[in-house]
Amino acid sequence: MSSEPIERRVSYLGDRLKASRCKICGKEYFEVRDYCGNCGRKSFGKMSSIDLFYEKGELELCTLVNEPTNKFMKLGRYVYGIISFHNGKIRVPGRLTDQILNNGDAIDFASFEGREVVPRFRRRYQVGRNDVVPTISLAFTLADEYYPHQEYTVVKPTKEYDLPGVVGYGVYTSRFRIKEGKLERSVPFIDEDAVTAAVEAGKLALIHSGVDSSLVGKVYVGSESNPYAVKPIASKVAQVLKLGEEDEDVQSVDAVDTEFACKAASSMFKDAAALVHYPKSGVEYAMVIGADNAQAAPRGCPGGELDVFVGFGGSAFLFGKHDVIAEIEGWYSCTSDTPDFWRRDGEPFPMHGGRFTGDPAYFKHVRKATTKLMEQLNLQPSDVDYFVTHQPNPQFPVKIAKELGFKEEQYAVSLQVNKFGNTYSGCSPLGLAAVLDVAKPEERILITSYGSGAGSDSYLLRTTSQLIDKRKRQKMTVKFQAENPFVQHVDYTTYRRLKLGM
Amino acid sequence: MQNRPAIVAVGRTKFGEHYGKKPEQLIEEAWLTASRECNLERRDLEACYLSDCFLPITNKLGLEEGFLSELTELHVPMEVTRSVSAALLTACHAIQAGAYNTVLVGGIEKMTDRWDKIRDDLMLLEDPWSYYAGGTPEANHELMLRAYIKKYGLTGENVEKLNLALAEVAVKNHAHALKNEYAQFQRKITVEHVLSARDAVHKPLGLYDFAPISDGASALILTSEALAKKLTDNPVYVLGCASATDYLDFPTRDDLTHFTATRIAMKNASKMAGKNPGDISIAEVYDQSTVMELVSMEDLGFCEPGTAWKSIRGNCEDYEGYYDINGRKLFVNKNGGLKADGNPLGATGGAQIFEIFRQLRGEAGERQIPEPASTGCALEFEGFGTKAYVSIFGRDHDE
Repeated sequence: MSSEPIERRVSYLGDRLKASRCKICGKEYFEVRDYCGNCGRKSFGKMSSIDLFYEKGELELCTLVNEPTNKFMKLGRYVYGIISFHNGKIRVPGRLTDQILNNGDAIDFASFEGREVVPRFRRRYQVGRNDVVPTISLAFTLADEYYPHQEYTVVKPTKEYDLPGVVGYGVYTSRFRIKEGKLERSVPFIDEDAVTAAVEAGKLALIHSGVDSSLVGKVYVGSESNPYAVKPIASKVAQVLKLGEEDEDVQSVDAVDTEFACKAASSMFKDAAALVHYPKSGVEYAMVIGADNAQAAPRGCPGGELDVFVGFGGSAFLFGKHDVIAEIEGWYSCTSDTPDFWRRDGEPFPMHGGRFTGDPAYFKHVRKATTKLMEQLNLQPSDVDYFVTHQPNPQFPVKIAKELGFKEEQYAVSLQVNKFGNTYSGCSPLGLAAVLDVAKPEERILITSYGSGAGSDSYLLRTTSQLIDKRKRQKMTVKFQAENPFVQHVDYTTYRRLKLGM
Repeated sequence: MQNRPAIVAVGRTKFGEHYGKKPEQLIEEAWLTASRECNLERRDLEACYLSDCFLPITNKLGLEEGFLSELTELHVPMEVTRSVSAALLTACHAIQAGAYNTVLVGGIEKMTDRWDKIRDDLMLLEDPWSYYAGGTPEANHELMLRAYIKKYGLTGENVEKLNLALAEVAVKNHAHALKNEYAQFQRKITVEHVLSARDAVHKPLGLYDFAPISDGASALILTSEALAKKLTDNPVYVLGCASATDYLDFPTRDDLTHFTATRIAMKNASKMAGKNPGDISIAEVYDQSTVMELVSMEDLGFCEPGTAWKSIRGNCEDYEGYYDINGRKLFVNKNGGLKADGNPLGATGGAQIFEIFRQLRGEAGERQIPEPASTGCALEFEGFGTKAYVSIFGRDHDE
């Protein structure tokens, strides 16, 4: 695809699987249509737009593709077929993703046909390094495997809180893992990247919160692995998740990408909270997403030490003042110009300062932000139920938590680096999500992020009773993903290939 | 019908890879063969209808009329369509309208120049959304087969028989091509070849179920009825021709087991010709895959829906592949079909008409069907059944 207008049109329909339904005869079309072919002129103005993005379909027919067209070659072999929605009222082509089929394996088509599938937002196919990255949701996974189908139901809020806080969240990590020793890390499938993870996480946050996506007035996406040097991830998220009111094909939402190594997202929590709190902002909800296909050079190359810890995933938090599950009681941020980890423009992999990333960087800033916030709010470690911090490896967060006076039961729940690796911008938010998944009402959570470069943001959150009410809306909890029986482990070579992507 | 169009001569090149030849040289060769046959000069042509499916993509050749004008040194009206059948249909209309008396209808394609990208090109042209979803040109045929098995409730032994019948389609077409000097593949294959190619890739259809990509050209000269009788003793008349259109995206069609466009085109062409499927004894159908041939047999009304796989008979050894339809022999794809004769998209229909012309005139040599037929039929597609063209030909229009 070398033409951007064509790319834009394909993505506009294909990312969200936009469709139309005739209000007169009920006929449905996979595309945006102004009239119905059955009803003709009288159906003008009587077409409702629907989309299949949150629906589940049925894999009606399938076959095996083992010699894809050129742009799909990196996908190797895959199951491809026809997916029907609404009992066959709409049929679309689609491929099954998140499946590694080995050469020589026979496929029993009948074992796939008739099964429920969920549309997944993915990279469409391979393009040149200078081209627009094409995406599509005509990729599907089996609903009874790693990723369950969940309905998105908008729930009318019941209560307004004095303080802004978290109203919903979602964490997305992939089906694939690499396991080395005790450490397990999430690995993207070959068609995933920071953009697809950001959309997935945001989608799960909307499902969890029950917030009407058109009321989201701002979205921040923090990442250090955006496939583009220039072009926001946030605009894709806004379009695909329909954030803000849609007017023709434009969303009434402010969307922006942020970058500050691993705190690019957590840093924006306070901005999102402040924005929804400010009465003149007109922003009812603001979404913050941290998503990364955490980069690392291969082992044995400069920077390859990071290859032991990097993961893949996204975390999304929705902030507002209605039906809050965790109010924000305070924050503290600190910054210094400390070059402990960096990636120069045009370089594929980051470098880091070895020993220099510990004491003068990670520990110094996490310590500073946490102690300052505790001083400010007059807190002792025992006043806090859960402590969450950035997890670049399994050792650092434990060391700093102990030093700050926290006990294992306070920090253990948030420690997820052993299961998913360091998901960079998504990392400390993922730890927060793991805590929110299990916390009780009226508990205090202290989270301190860290971003190389360097800085930390510390927040104090207090959970509300609505935390329990909303929990039943989310199947894709952190634990569900960590302990999912459909997780598939890959070897180092496959991990590097998948991580490199299309 | 008044002023029935007649074919007075046909010509074609061998199909296959013509690495060293320009597209112009191929059409020149086809046209010269045809003009020699009926003793016509280029200055006698009043119009040209040329077809090519995607020369602008494969050979970066746009405005193909221009190079045909240079080649023939003619300045007559020329139009380009995507298939020979479309060109023929348009030419027939012009002749019936009395606009012209002598028209060149030709087709040309050069696909092997772009073999490394051709499947992407084909998919984008014939089913873009399936392409974006990861579909291949082969996948739609395989999905149609899956749908067919499901719709007709075939299980166990019957699925085996269907798979075997599909293999026999390929074997039959290869056997036919053995006696066609123009065919791309003049070699015998066996059922075992077809089956093991499928097994090797664990797919419903394998290498031998699909037509190749090809280079080639074909041409025919179409005249008014009155002129035809002066040019030849034995013109072949176009008794009926019709086309129909279906949705571009295969998955969105109502019926995934059949080609609706074929059914409509056949109905209209038969009506125009005053013939029914039982009158036809030689047919050239568009077998981009073995499934496409079997399904087309049903869509054209030769076999009941869901039964074509039971009708194929014959074997390679005695060169007797045909469909047995209620005791009647129907010969299909005697030139080898797209499978073995080749499939240079824009020229393919010309080879189908070439074959019917020869068979109806009793000039098919070694591949002549036992009793020369009076009526033949050709089915050509553009895309995966997106457009279907059915043309019915007769030896003597008074029959």
